[in-house]
Amino acid sequence: MLLKCGVVVVHIVGLDKPGSRFLLQGNEAVARGALEGGVQVAAGYPGTPSSEVIETLAEIAKDYGIYVEWSINEKVAFDVAVGAASVGARAIVTAKNAGVNWYMDMFATVVYGGLPGGLVVYAADDPGAFYSSTEQDTRPLAKSVGVLILEPADQGESKEMVRLGFDYSEKFELPVFVRSVTRISHSSGDVLYGEIRKERNKIFFNRHYGLPFRYNVYGPYRYKGETGPSAKHAWQLERLDEIREFVEELPFNQVEEGNADVGIIASGIGYSYVKDALVRLDCGIKPWVLKIGTPYPLPTRKISEFLRNLKKVLVIEEGDPFIEEQIKALSKDCCPDIKILGRGTGTIRSFGELGLSQVLKALADLTGSKSYELDDERRNVKAEIKKIVAPRSSMMCAGCPHLGTYWVLRFALHKIVNKYRDRFKGAWIVNGDIGCYEMGGYGLFAKEIEPQKEKATRRVSIDNPYEILDSNYIMGGGIGVAQGQYHAGYREGPIVAVAGDSTFFHACMPALLNATYNKAAVTFLVLDNSWTAMTGHQPAPTTGITATGSPSKVYGIEEIARALGVDDVWVTDPYDLKKAEEVLIGAMEKTVNENKTTLVIFKRECALQVVRRLTREGKIITHYLVDTDKCVGCRLCVQLGCPAVGWDKNSKKAFIDPTLCVSCSLCAQVCPVKAIKPSTERVVGVKEV
Amino acid sequence: MKYYHIMIAGVGGQGNLLLSRIIGDAAISKGLKVRLGETFGAAQRGGSVHSHVRVGEEVYGPLMLEDEADALLALEPLEGLRRGLQYLRKGGLAVLNTRKINSFDTNVGVAEYPSIEDIINSFRKLGARIVHHDFTKIAEEIGYPRLMNVVVLGAFAGIAENELPFTTEDLKTAIRNRVPPRWVELNIRAFDKGYEFSKKYSEFSI
Repeated sequence: MLLKCGVVVVHIVGLDKPGSRFLLQGNEAVARGALEGGVQVAAGYPGTPSSEVIETLAEIAKDYGIYVEWSINEKVAFDVAVGAASVGARAIVTAKNAGVNWYMDMFATVVYGGLPGGLVVYAADDPGAFYSSTEQDTRPLAKSVGVLILEPADQGESKEMVRLGFDYSEKFELPVFVRSVTRISHSSGDVLYGEIRKERNKIFFNRHYGLPFRYNVYGPYRYKGETGPSAKHAWQLERLDEIREFVEELPFNQVEEGNADVGIIASGIGYSYVKDALVRLDCGIKPWVLKIGTPYPLPTRKISEFLRNLKKVLVIEEGDPFIEEQIKALSKDCCPDIKILGRGTGTIRSFGELGLSQVLKALADLTGSKSYELDDERRNVKAEIKKIVAPRSSMMCAGCPHLGTYWVLRFALHKIVNKYRDRFKGAWIVNGDIGCYEMGGYGLFAKEIEPQKEKATRRVSIDNPYEILDSNYIMGGGIGVAQGQYHAGYREGPIVAVAGDSTFFHACMPALLNATYNKAAVTFLVLDNSWTAMTGHQPAPTTGITATGSPSKVYGIEEIARALGVDDVWVTDPYDLKKAEEVLIGAMEKTVNENKTTLVIFKRECALQVVRRLTREGKIITHYLVDTDKCVGCRLCVQLGCPAVGWDKNSKKAFIDPTLCVSCSLCAQVCPVKAIKPSTERVVGVKEV
Repeated sequence: MKYYHIMIAGVGGQGNLLLSRIIGDAAISKGLKVRLGETFGAAQRGGSVHSHVRVGEEVYGPLMLEDEADALLALEPLEGLRRGLQYLRKGGLAVLNTRKINSFDTNVGVAEYPSIEDIINSFRKLGARIVHHDFTKIAEEIGYPRLMNVVVLGAFAGIAENELPFTTEDLKTAIRNRVPPRWVELNIRAFDKGYEFSKKYSEFSI
């Protein structure tokens, strides 16, 4: 978001206006904190809800001399940040919850000796899994590594914790983990700006700085009777003891006085929900509140003191009962009779988003006050109206090249299984991956399915792109899972994996090499649309630019795949269905007949990006239409799954929504009676560029 | 003021986020706290998008509760009803753009798009004060249908002038600061058109 300052338009995050308040998204606040903290290097991989930190820093990178990159994956991003901090720089690495899993190896190792430069590790968790495969809470991961965890309650605190995170990291020479959640990262709030640190850390390298053989875990460092990694472990545990002392006095942990024998311990967004709930509750009593800003290590003396005069304490936190369990262990020593409630006791449900309404209800129960609920009459009125509210399902965009790819895949699978009936008695397997094409597993029109008990291959028939993916887990997972299915001896149908271009670079390259090296007969489809589209069109190695917009090489997946040992690679256009189907069938036959790993690249730029470019150029996008005299009502075009193709129940004919259509021509190609054609002679749309 | 809540509902690409930020900026200029609970997912066009806008002295988290919105800005009628049904309080104000955007579900016939009359009647049954109009048409008359969001904001400002914790002028200042320079004049014109519309709106009584 831009803000004008005089005549020069600068990013709002870059404004040098200490003392003023500005409205920032949580991730922008993190970028501001990094700027105020004098960050020198920032790296990350796009992942909702974390991406805007790097996007924002990329926009102000030139003005403030910050190096900012989109790394190939989170593990590489983490390594880059560690490298920067090892030569003394202040660095930040960003990821979503799933991305944290990717960098755990380095995270768990770099703490053996730590770093001279401040390293802030920013993680955006996604309770409720709005944008993610899981609701995973990353705090236990950071605890297992043994570093300070900071957890902001709002955007203002996000900024402050990141800014101070660099100081804390340098004080203890260990990374500092800042854990946010969707409702902070992807919400906005007013943030008070502070001074931007002008001073930059000196860049230097001294292999024995502070500790002998500092950056080499195997170095012959001796400490407390141990050598090498164990000695460094002992060093780290001492730092952790210092951090335990430090958090006792940290203002992010503070007590708000009450007048009763019940209390609330709240951290992160949970604390904000508690404050919101208390405003709404007509409490006869005032509960004590302990705000926790450091979920690990906890300020144990402060907590013991807090618990001493209370009978019942409710722990409010977003995610797992992480603080709750630590407090339960602590209370066994200091006050064994106290009742500790929270997500672990089922007082608040242990899955799904925490949310304000649940907190309000739990606080009402705790304080014995009335929480307002809708009366029956209101509920009935609402239930009646709800019946007419039609859904608006999340789906692939009009003209999305993936629609073409999935169309081709669907028919190729059916044809191969039929052609090789003697060999394939059962079903194909399509293994998915993470990106827009994951919608191929959303099952928009799926019926309720009963679990099946029989351990037998079952063939399914699909008639739309939203049910095509049989498996889907993680970035890069599909191509690896496919190999296991093959090597375990699954031969009842072709085994296929799909992934996008950014995902290919992120996680598929080692898995693909593994496939060719170990001779897995699987067909791999790479859906190359030149962008990391799903997270908001960040550049990828197929785009030709870096995070800060400087030109870079355009990496061809074809060449990389060949170098990884795939002998049979095809590049095809998903907007040319006939040709693309031929190519894919050829590839799958090669896999089936010659037991080879094959790869087909479906290459077309993301339609959204093309539409944006055409619109910027002032072009008016034309559309296709259905000749209702010719339309025989076969619904094949509807099965394409494009949001622009509709079905008129009364006339039993298809129609095209002109406001959504971007003239990709896919529906015209699938129509068996040529009833769909462009509305104008001169077509302007995504296919013509 | 403890808090004033506005729910903004629409479809991806309609400028929902810009409105919430303009309102947020106006509130900050009055020294109020602001929280925006924005829900947006993939970059796709056409998905359901809504924003919780919370301004006041006692706001901490980004979410309002059911039946807590004082006002609803509905950039699209079906999305307006979806969020209004959940969040708009009895007596709350709904400013509804009547220009439909079909959903895939209604396009392929697995669901039916409710009639505009049914939508308006539903708001009445919910006890809302409702102002409805094809605000996209006003924006089209200016020459840029995409300005519809700011037309709706102008209409809202005109109707709710006496209940808002910031002034119409605060909103216009916020527009001038948030919108890229070459778009400022057009956005102000769109805002004014919406504002003028609200002053002529006769079916409505507060």
